[in-house]
Amino acid sequence: MSDTGVQLKDVKKSFSVVDVIRGVDMEIKRGQFAVFVGPSGCGKSTLLRMIAGLEDTSAGKILIGDRDVTDVDPADRGVAMVFQSYALYPHLSVFENMAFSLRLAKRPKAEVKEKVHEAAQVLQLTEQLDKKPAQLSGGQRQRVAIGRAIVRAPEVFLFDEPLSNLDAELRVQMRLELARLHLKLGATMIYVTHDQVEAMTLADVIFVLQGGYVQQSGAPLDLYEDPSNRFVAGFIGSPSMNFFNATVVARADGRLTARLDGQPDQSFDIAMTTALEPGTPVTLGIRPEHLVVSEGEGMRVTVDVAEELGGVSYQHGTLEGGEAVIFQQIGARHGMHGTVQTILPQTDRIFVFSREGDRIR
Amino acid sequence: MTAKQARNIAFSALVLIAAAIWIFPLYWALTTSLRSENRVVSEGAGVLMDELNVSAYIDVLSNSKLPMWYLNSVGTSLIITVIVLITGMMCAYALSQLRFPGRKALYLIVVGSFMVPVPALYVAQFVLMSDLGLINTWWGIILPQLIVPVVVIVYKQFFDAIPKEMREAVLLDGGGEFTLLFKLYLPLNWGITAALAIITFISAWNNFFWPFLVVTSESMMTIPVGITQVNDSFGVFYARMMALALLAAAPVIIGYLIFQKRVTEAVMISAGVKG
Ligand SMILES: Nc1ncnc2c1ncn2[C@@H]1O[C@H](COP(=O)(O)OP(=O)(O)OP(=O)(O)O)[C@@H](O)[C@H]1O
Ligand SMILES: [Mg+2]
Repeated sequence: MSDTGVQLKDVKKSFSVVDVIRGVDMEIKRGQFAVFVGPSGCGKSTLLRMIAGLEDTSAGKILIGDRDVTDVDPADRGVAMVFQSYALYPHLSVFENMAFSLRLAKRPKAEVKEKVHEAAQVLQLTEQLDKKPAQLSGGQRQRVAIGRAIVRAPEVFLFDEPLSNLDAELRVQMRLELARLHLKLGATMIYVTHDQVEAMTLADVIFVLQGGYVQQSGAPLDLYEDPSNRFVAGFIGSPSMNFFNATVVARADGRLTARLDGQPDQSFDIAMTTALEPGTPVTLGIRPEHLVVSEGEGMRVTVDVAEELGGVSYQHGTLEGGEAVIFQQIGARHGMHGTVQTILPQTDRIFVFSREGDRIR
Repeated sequence: MTAKQARNIAFSALVLIAAAIWIFPLYWALTTSLRSENRVVSEGAGVLMDELNVSAYIDVLSNSKLPMWYLNSVGTSLIITVIVLITGMMCAYALSQLRFPGRKALYLIVVGSFMVPVPALYVAQFVLMSDLGLINTWWGIILPQLIVPVVVIVYKQFFDAIPKEMREAVLLDGGGEFTLLFKLYLPLNWGITAALAIITFISAWNNFFWPFLVVTSESMMTIPVGITQVNDSFGVFYARMMALALLAAAPVIIGYLIFQKRVTEAVMISAGVKG
């Protein structure tokens, strides 16, 4: 047995004339927790549903374990899915909801009972087994949906934004439970989310999808620290990265100097292996946490909104050239609203992108 | 007394009057059926119920084929209801959930057939039943009444409303189309199934003209057709006719009293679709 959990080979999907997935290759190792992120409508759900077998694959291959399941029925793929809407069967009790697949598979009564009770134990649902879904809280319904997946002992769990209907507190709690569950079951899990924090905390590997392609994949911190294009750089991290247009003015051995278009008195010295000709237009990417307020020279920002979160605050403003800037301050009550601040980037944390959006290292 | 109270009283009085007008024919039928035939036609037979004479009932029950008619009515109506519901449900499921070429066209045909007034088909259906040798049989009564597009339309609407994810959950759990229909779509729609069963049954039970056409032998008649026989065999005997009419309506009335809420629901649903 190889250690492949799920593998996609040049998978494509079109709905009539619209190409949603244009060519996705990915390999998720057995037991990994993979997270799909990307802007709304980029095809995350579609890709997940293709893995589940709920959508046909227009081209390419899907492998689960070593098995080519591209044309296999959903029930025979060894996958279980947890839907955003939970999709519990409203007319059945919690027990029967969880037992549904086992009953269809004509498993012996004793086995059904044992498996359902085992799953209920793990999910703290033992007390709720006789209730109907309508009598449960949102978090409990969520757990039943997960329980329904667990009893089938699938090779791969698929989650489509499973926590998005829960309130913030419960979401945090369920997130931890999911992490624990993953440790306990050791099964491959694929998880679609909009939530940065869920993605960063749960994932072994994140796949950033956009435009029908995987833009980048890797461990959460690798994507954060080393994005391979402007899209990923802007998508991973919250609040998102600042981008400034700049022009290369000088280059030296392993370094270049770039001048901000919006504030030409500011230029930064950046370590680079690629040698760019002076005059090349580039885009500089700087995260809000890497912009520091300075006493002397720097980028002059008029702060118009301050988001004070307690531990940190995010100052939103505009540069002289009109570009929007967000920078982070530790602590709150800085009273910067309406003032002009001078900020400087940590030059070793500046990312350089071509104007087309490719990372230049 | 405030203006509001006055208005309430006026309104209640109005409702009472309307109800009285509505119920009078029923009351009159009951009064008539409890009189002797002579009393019915005699002068001075007033509005008040002045006699409790059950001879008309006894006569009707012993001298007509009423028990046979009951059996025919119950049998054909039940068979019609069961078949209409099963076929309607399956047809609606296919139209709602399966993807096949011609699905839309098929649905348009169903909706279109809903627009055709049933009596317009009687001649063709009669010829067909006659060719099939089904005159004076249960199947002759039943077959033409099996086409009830409203059942398909109502079921389809309810099936359409079931979230797609639930269907997909069943597919992932290993179910096929039959599991989907009988373990998900149907159980989620027991209410509508009961309602549709009631309206189908009532309309089959009340159907007069078709059974009247297709049945000539007295022993194959349904109750509504049977009522006309009393006329023929006894001359116009009002007390007996009314007694028979009330006996014919009795199961429906009793059924209504038991399933009151469901019947109201059913009528509203079918009115909603038809209106
Ligand atoms: N059955 C379908 N028929 C036609 N187009 C579809 C269908 N399902 C999805 N699409 C299109 O495919 C694209 C991707 O949809 P998908 O639901 O996968 O997005 P998503 O990334 O999950 O978005 P979100 O984050 O909002 O859930 C969308 O543009 C959508 O309109
Ligand atoms: Mg989605």
